[in-house]
Amino acid sequence: MDPEFRGDSDHHDGTSDATPGGYAEGRRPGELGFALILTAASLFLLYSAYGISGFTALSGPGAIPMATTLVMVVAVAIVALRTWRLPRVTSETLSRDILPPMVILFIGFLIVFGLLLKPLGFVPTAALFLTIAIKVLARRGWGYTLAVALGSLVVIWIVFRVVFTVLLPAGILPEAEFIQFFRTLLSGGAS
Amino acid sequence: MSLKFLGTIAALGLSATMATAQNYPSKEIQGIIQWGAGGSTDTVMRSVTPHAEAVLGGTVVMQNMTGAVGAIALNHVAGSPADGYTLLMGAENPMLYKIMGLGDKDYSEFVPINILARGTPILVANKDAPFDDYAGMMAHIAANPGELRIGSTGPGGVPSVVTAMMNTVEGKLDVIAVPYDGDGPALTALQSGAIDVMPAVLGAAIEGIRAGAMKPLALFDTQASDKLPDVPAVTSFNEGYATYLPWGPFFGVFVPKGTPDDVVAKLSDAYAKGAEHPDFTSLMDSRGFTMMAISGDEAEAFLTKWQQGTAWLLHDAGLTKASPEEFGIARPGE
Amino acid sequence: MDTLLAILTIFAQPELLLLVGAGTFAGIYIGAIPGLSVTMAVSILISFTFSWDVYPAISLMVGIYMGGVYGGSRTAILLNIPGAPSAIATAMDGYPMAQRGEAGQAIGVTTVMSFFGGLIGILVLALAAPFVADFALTFQPRDYMLLAVLGILLVGSLSTGSLAKGIFAGALGIAIGAVGRDPLTFTPRFTFDLQIMEGGISFIAVMIGMFGVSEALLQLQNVNLKSVRQKIDKIVPSFGIIRKYLPLSLQTSTIGVIIGALPGTGGDIAALMAYDHAKRVTKNPKVPFGKGAMEGLVAPETANNAAVGGAFIPMMTLGIPGDAVTAIMIGALFIHGLNPGPMLMIDQPDMFWFIVGALMTANVFMLIFGLTGIRIFTRIVEMPRSVIIPLILLLSIVGAYAVNNRISDVYWMLGFGVFGYFMRHYGYPLGPVILGVILSRLLDDNWRRAIISEREDLGRFFEGIVTSPLSLVLFTSVILIFVSQTPLWTALKTRIFGKATS
Repeated sequence: MDPEFRGDSDHHDGTSDATPGGYAEGRRPGELGFALILTAASLFLLYSAYGISGFTALSGPGAIPMATTLVMVVAVAIVALRTWRLPRVTSETLSRDILPPMVILFIGFLIVFGLLLKPLGFVPTAALFLTIAIKVLARRGWGYTLAVALGSLVVIWIVFRVVFTVLLPAGILPEAEFIQFFRTLLSGGAS
Repeated sequence: MSLKFLGTIAALGLSATMATAQNYPSKEIQGIIQWGAGGSTDTVMRSVTPHAEAVLGGTVVMQNMTGAVGAIALNHVAGSPADGYTLLMGAENPMLYKIMGLGDKDYSEFVPINILARGTPILVANKDAPFDDYAGMMAHIAANPGELRIGSTGPGGVPSVVTAMMNTVEGKLDVIAVPYDGDGPALTALQSGAIDVMPAVLGAAIEGIRAGAMKPLALFDTQASDKLPDVPAVTSFNEGYATYLPWGPFFGVFVPKGTPDDVVAKLSDAYAKGAEHPDFTSLMDSRGFTMMAISGDEAEAFLTKWQQGTAWLLHDAGLTKASPEEFGIARPGE
Repeated sequence: MDTLLAILTIFAQPELLLLVGAGTFAGIYIGAIPGLSVTMAVSILISFTFSWDVYPAISLMVGIYMGGVYGGSRTAILLNIPGAPSAIATAMDGYPMAQRGEAGQAIGVTTVMSFFGGLIGILVLALAAPFVADFALTFQPRDYMLLAVLGILLVGSLSTGSLAKGIFAGALGIAIGAVGRDPLTFTPRFTFDLQIMEGGISFIAVMIGMFGVSEALLQLQNVNLKSVRQKIDKIVPSFGIIRKYLPLSLQTSTIGVIIGALPGTGGDIAALMAYDHAKRVTKNPKVPFGKGAMEGLVAPETANNAAVGGAFIPMMTLGIPGDAVTAIMIGALFIHGLNPGPMLMIDQPDMFWFIVGALMTANVFMLIFGLTGIRIFTRIVEMPRSVIIPLILLLSIVGAYAVNNRISDVYWMLGFGVFGYFMRHYGYPLGPVILGVILSRLLDDNWRRAIISEREDLGRFFEGIVTSPLSLVLFTSVILIFVSQTPLWTALKTRIFGKATS
């Protein structure tokens, strides 16, 4: 067996981080494009790092950023060159193995989540997300979907918002009044 | 009690966005702490707030929001509704944001609820340093130019202001300023000998001094502290410091401008009573902080005076990005 | 005699015992959930325990600390999502084991080894605290810098396969760590004049995104696959296994204590360094590293729990925090009217011995809770993927927000999640990115301090390295490890020993 072979024979996505995916002998769909984007981004970051403090002093705030971005450029250039030389893996396509519709859909969900989080508030956004996501993935009845989604949301909300007092964006729900109401209720009952 | 219940239920139904003093606080209040957990600001705020909560009859949920020398927290609170449900718990740094080019907001966008306490700077040295007092240090700098390593915590921090004072009073000192990100790490470095001298806050250095792990050179105040009666005030070495002293970092609680007056009054009252609690005053005393507990016009006047003095001191020392004049900060005495 | 009494205080008062136990139990869950951190829990406890006496308050905090450091390994093994930064290395070999249905065994070994590491840390704290603290104080900025360089060289052992990709990932991590206003001069770095960038990128957000979100996205492809049934009958490892790893765990615990005791470095760096050490000294692992090697679990888990005891060393002897959690505990001691500092050991030795006792108790509770609650945890992985994937995504979002209450961290987390998804597909390792972010400040700040202290003079800088024994040892290690990872070494070996035997 090829000692350089890092992938998994049945699974092309890496079993754990110490054995990452990808192939040693082939270039996966989109791999070259990814390497080229990284090269361009690294060059831009190098330029940006130069802008921090230039070559003024060894101790300048830009010294280490410049050194690291230079390393990034060199390393990723080598990677891009190697990737370019590798033969394409013919058994895979971008839309089936790298970015299947389901993954694109979920990335979309996450973007929408990020956009709605602030204006709508955490609880409604999360409820919406969990319900739709579970419905799409599990393809079970609405009863099951809603029960699982809302049930787990309540647990997460209690742990983070009530126990750990993480001030998640409240949005349209009068969350703080709600909590205060129960606090008063509890302290009222106690005294 | 039942009235309060009704009030809360009404607030729930209407999703109360109005804040009136009758039912304030009708929900929990967010306290945004400008600095990280475990720092002085954090400790001070977490120890005074429970006492204030008791007076207020509400809950203050405290959160640390760090980053960009506290500017992230300041901008967050400045952008929150001025209804008294978001408090900024901060230190002196925002007063210098404008001239340091760190932001375009400072406490002038806020109403001080309470300026709780003030710290006193003290100059401490590594225990093996070849001098024992302030005069000895000056002689050492003169004899060994460019060799003494003095700790700093970035532009606008306590050490930079103290160093600026020294440069103004004694003339430009030829020393190396080694930057640290807080006086905790800098005092650790002082004990390990990575730096020789450090201008720190009394409270942070006091235990190290008592244990003999570092030696005090001079207290940056007009008179010695009863915490460390043997440490001379810096004015006893050079009268020139008297112009700038007493000076020190401070801690305060603020709300955005535009908060209803009755809410401000209620909060001020709560924090003023909280700050009187013996547990809190003894804590502040043991950490070497001077209690202030001022609010209203007195606090505004204090802030203005502090900002004028410090901003011009730093500007004259050439440490600022922009002149205080640009922001309408008058030279003290003008 | 007084000492013994102080250690045993905890047993004399059942409520203290109960608090340590409750704290440890809660800590395991806090550690296991990415985004809930021990630092967060302990700072909330400051307000919560405000009106309590100091002993109960400290008992609860110590329990949470011990349990939390251990708890991070749970999700790392079961879901490939480290619950805490110190469990990143644990995921590398723990998750492959869970994929084979050996999660029970992995958790068992992890628990026993965490207990062992914790024990070593506490023993060093109890017996040699002043000595270790003095040693930790001898580290100068240039030594911290060399330590960071040593850490960065771990990239080689964290990335099987293409070294260039690993180096790129590590450098990217360092650059990510530099984003925001530089803490020393307040110069904006990589902020592109955007206010949202000024606060920098929280490394917890990067970690949650890269491991949590990208893992969830990958799992979308096998949503209909049946989850692996976990064998949970043989949880407690045999004495033979423990004895086999005893020498290794002693070495990695030592790494843990020292890294933990250094102010500014903690369990996360210790665990990664220990993993690297294990990989170096284990010549023929039964299962290769990265595929479920037991050594890959033993090393990081002993080290991060040993770092707990280590972190208390400078805190108790000098009043200097060993890490973020001990920094908050110093604040707690202040609030409760004590004056933590060099005098604490002399004025109030009882407090020191009480903490030693509480740590010891928490360690035992950790062993008990760790070995008993496994069934519930393994149920989590056996849940249908259609439910667990949305939950991981939601928890990642909440967790990233909770770190600093900043919505921008959520955006970063999601961005790095998608980026990490592509990195995984194209064979770029993620570990080095996190390593880079963790070490970024250590490297950058200390390099600048070191060179400023020498008046920007490289000659004086190297003179300093050569004349200080500690710096020289660190510098030599850096050179040796660097050479051993480059082709130069292989060429040299071939020349000296003839043809390479492997």
